[in-house]
Amino acid sequence: MAQQSPNHIEPDLALESEIAGLIVSALNLDIAASEIVPDAPLYGDELGIDSIDILEIALVMSKQYGVQMKADNEDNSAIFASLRKLAAYIREHRSK
Amino acid sequence: MTLIPLLPEIDASTPFACVDGKTVDRASFYAQVMNLAAALPEQERVLNMCADRYWFAVALFAAIARGMVTVLPNSAAPEHIAAVTAEQAGLLVLGDQPENPVAALPYFRVSQLPHAAMADTPMPLIAFDQRVACLYTSGSTGTPMPHFKTFGRLQLAIQAGAERVWGAAGGACSVVGTVPIRHMYGLESSVLLPILAGGRMATQIPFFPADIASALAEMPAPRLLVITPFHLRKLLEAEVSLPQIAVILSATAPLSVELAAQTRQQLGCPVLEIYGSTETGQVATRETDVETTWQTLQGITLEQRDDELWAVGEVYETPQMLNDTVELFSPQQFRLVDRKANMINVAGKRSSLSFLNAALTGLPGVVDGVFCIPERTANAEVERLAAFVVAPTLDRAAILAGLRQHVDAVFLPRHIVFVESLPRDGNGKILARTLQALIAQHLPERS
Repeated sequence: MAQQSPNHIEPDLALESEIAGLIVSALNLDIAASEIVPDAPLYGDELGIDSIDILEIALVMSKQYGVQMKADNEDNSAIFASLRKLAAYIREHRSK
Repeated sequence: MTLIPLLPEIDASTPFACVDGKTVDRASFYAQVMNLAAALPEQERVLNMCADRYWFAVALFAAIARGMVTVLPNSAAPEHIAAVTAEQAGLLVLGDQPENPVAALPYFRVSQLPHAAMADTPMPLIAFDQRVACLYTSGSTGTPMPHFKTFGRLQLAIQAGAERVWGAAGGACSVVGTVPIRHMYGLESSVLLPILAGGRMATQIPFFPADIASALAEMPAPRLLVITPFHLRKLLEAEVSLPQIAVILSATAPLSVELAAQTRQQLGCPVLEIYGSTETGQVATRETDVETTWQTLQGITLEQRDDELWAVGEVYETPQMLNDTVELFSPQQFRLVDRKANMINVAGKRSSLSFLNAALTGLPGVVDGVFCIPERTANAEVERLAAFVVAPTLDRAAILAGLRQHVDAVFLPRHIVFVESLPRDGNGKILARTLQALIAQHLPERS
């Protein structure tokens, strides 16, 4: 996948931390929300998140922010690339 | 030698799939299969890595027409692909992606062929015994095992499944599947069922609830949704608007009575749970919320031989052993007593209890130990394990740290109960009922 051009909008740290909290509680992760590094990949060994968890996260995002994830209109691997990317996507698309 | 037509005789103008928003009829599908079959280079085996279900099907049937075995890896993990490649010499990758998904092997892109006029090509006849597919069992200890399928037997199994599923749906369905097409469940129910038994197939493999809804809405009723219990739960929770679904199929993990009942209430359709495995394919079904008894498919019977359970029928080259403990009411009817006695599945990851037990008892300081799966909660599709351990010098943290070196984190026990000894029988086994008693005695009843 091509590198995304750098996003010059300042990250929304409060939203990132709120989403981190939702992820930790939804997935029952054995870490504190603050331990999720905003730029680190969500997938993979660090958090042990797999596609099943992504579905869980998507559900929480739709309940909390009214964002219905769809595979065919956005690049999901980009949205879920990191907590920061996910938060930026939610900020742009949230309806509540 | 029995010969079977590659594709069933169905009116050529019957709609078969919806590709990029356009309806493809049976004749066009057949033409594309034969077009690809004519274009494929001479090859014994192909690795079908197509991402889209329609192109996967075109590539599969083109390979069958040419007498090639289609190899279906059970994951795209590089180490698995490498193992498959090492074992199966001379593989050609078939894909619908612009780039070769397996860079180390030669690649043939199936979705970009110029159209030749193939309309008059006579339907190829395929030998009953022709090996057409090689699937891999999940493998509990990192060594997936190949398993070959023959054309005639797959045909028989699909017809038997269709009788049950189309019967429940009131006719041949439009099939939407969320499950992997290179696994037996997805191959049978979401690919072969619509092709061989007169259904229609959705080409995409939807993931998010909104995607599932639109894939269903694209296809005419009656509709069949092929899914896993976990995905079904998330679909219900998402509360997206869905078109009328005739029947839902569920497999790969146990379906709870509660989820089956909730689905019927919320979506107004039955959930048929499928009992099967990579080796056996689909064996039996039940409507989980209204029946505890499983009914085998036409032509398949179960036999208890000593301690072993075997699935028997013309659909198998040789009888296939099953790992589960069942109570047989008749050769066609049974109750599952201990499902997947050895195999466990946590959120889609598979391991075996014997592998986990070996890891546990192999830890320094552990005198004895056994993993177990406590009673499931009604609405948890994800199992979490517990363990009974004899280890006078260790604490919980030490055992978890030790296990972490050997097993995936999802299999770490949520509860660890320290006991003075484990009651093993004369053969050194811990009986299932002994384990059940330990669970009842020591583990909290979950709400």
